[in-house]
Amino acid sequence: MNGCEDKIASIELWLDGELSGAESESLRVHMAACAGCSEARRRLEKLQSTLTGVLLSEAQRVDFMPFWRAVQLRVNEKRPWYQDALDWMRGVLPASRVAWVVPAVIVLLLAGVSLESYWRGGAGRNAFATVESIDAYGRNVALLREYDTKTTVIWLYQDQEGENEAAEETAPSGPAF
Amino acid sequence: MELTDRELVQQCQAGEMSAFQELVSRYHQKVYMVIFGLLRNREDALEVAQETFFRAYRKISGFQGGSSFYTWIYRIAVNLAIDAQRRQKRNPLDFRESMDGLLESQGEAARDPFADFHDKELREKLTSAINDLTPEHKAVIVLRTIEGLSYKDIGEILGCSEGTVMSRLHYARKKLQDKLSAFL
Repeated sequence: MNGCEDKIASIELWLDGELSGAESESLRVHMAACAGCSEARRRLEKLQSTLTGVLLSEAQRVDFMPFWRAVQLRVNEKRPWYQDALDWMRGVLPASRVAWVVPAVIVLLLAGVSLESYWRGGAGRNAFATVESIDAYGRNVALLREYDTKTTVIWLYQDQEGENEAAEETAPSGPAF
Repeated sequence: MELTDRELVQQCQAGEMSAFQELVSRYHQKVYMVIFGLLRNREDALEVAQETFFRAYRKISGFQGGSSFYTWIYRIAVNLAIDAQRRQKRNPLDFRESMDGLLESQGEAARDPFADFHDKELREKLTSAINDLTPEHKAVIVLRTIEGLSYKDIGEILGCSEGTVMSRLHYARKKLQDKLSAFL
């Protein structure tokens, strides 16, 4: 398939029905004469048909009536207000849109800890601050200021939903400094 | 005469539950396929598919018809599935068991034992290779596979350009072919 590497993208476009009539015809003529491109087409078609087969056979297991009853149940179910609020928040505030929140919260925490040490003459003691759920995805930020060593530790972590019990037993519930 | 999706949506907006039932009947398997393609876990996929239709029902009064119903419902499904995947902390064994069940159920119609073995292995490798793709790459390849959606429709569903769809598809296929080179 020497010199035909650029044709692969065209073969994909052709299989996806994204080429014009003239381009399709030209490619078809080329594939008829080029064993490499013909083989590339066969491989792409096999990949496509295998994936289709896997997904179709899986979908056929989903019976309509039980599915519909479950949807109906949700429609008729009265949800708690906070569930709706959380759903709304997830829709309006996707992770990418609230990325600025993380540095902003860290700066606020740093400012808070610094002010506290200024007012209380905090030398010789440590300050710890934590903020839960800075977004709708369970991300949290915690901050530790150790005055003896003049060290500030900023810790970003995410709630682990569905974590196995063993992990919960061994892992500390809060940040382990 | 069979009603179009648009007519059914209008009936839904007028409060006809039977029209919504018809829409669910038309799309439940396709929506499930999209989600299963992304999550690779039956229970989660079923749960998210039901949630997709629930969300659609709640938002249908605001559906203006600027896009087709299927691009709209797929967009809800993909967003929920990607969201679920980010939170999904499943044991890979769950998926393997799920796929084993599927492959066994298909084994009944065996014709050529060697071909079946080869097919089964290919399917296993394929599902495993898909697992290694990013959600965005999975989404394009699954949407393209299920209904042969155009790049324009896929771009509309995923909120990206046709060029991005094309490059993601190319990348995803290349990755899959690389991993399945011995089987294709």
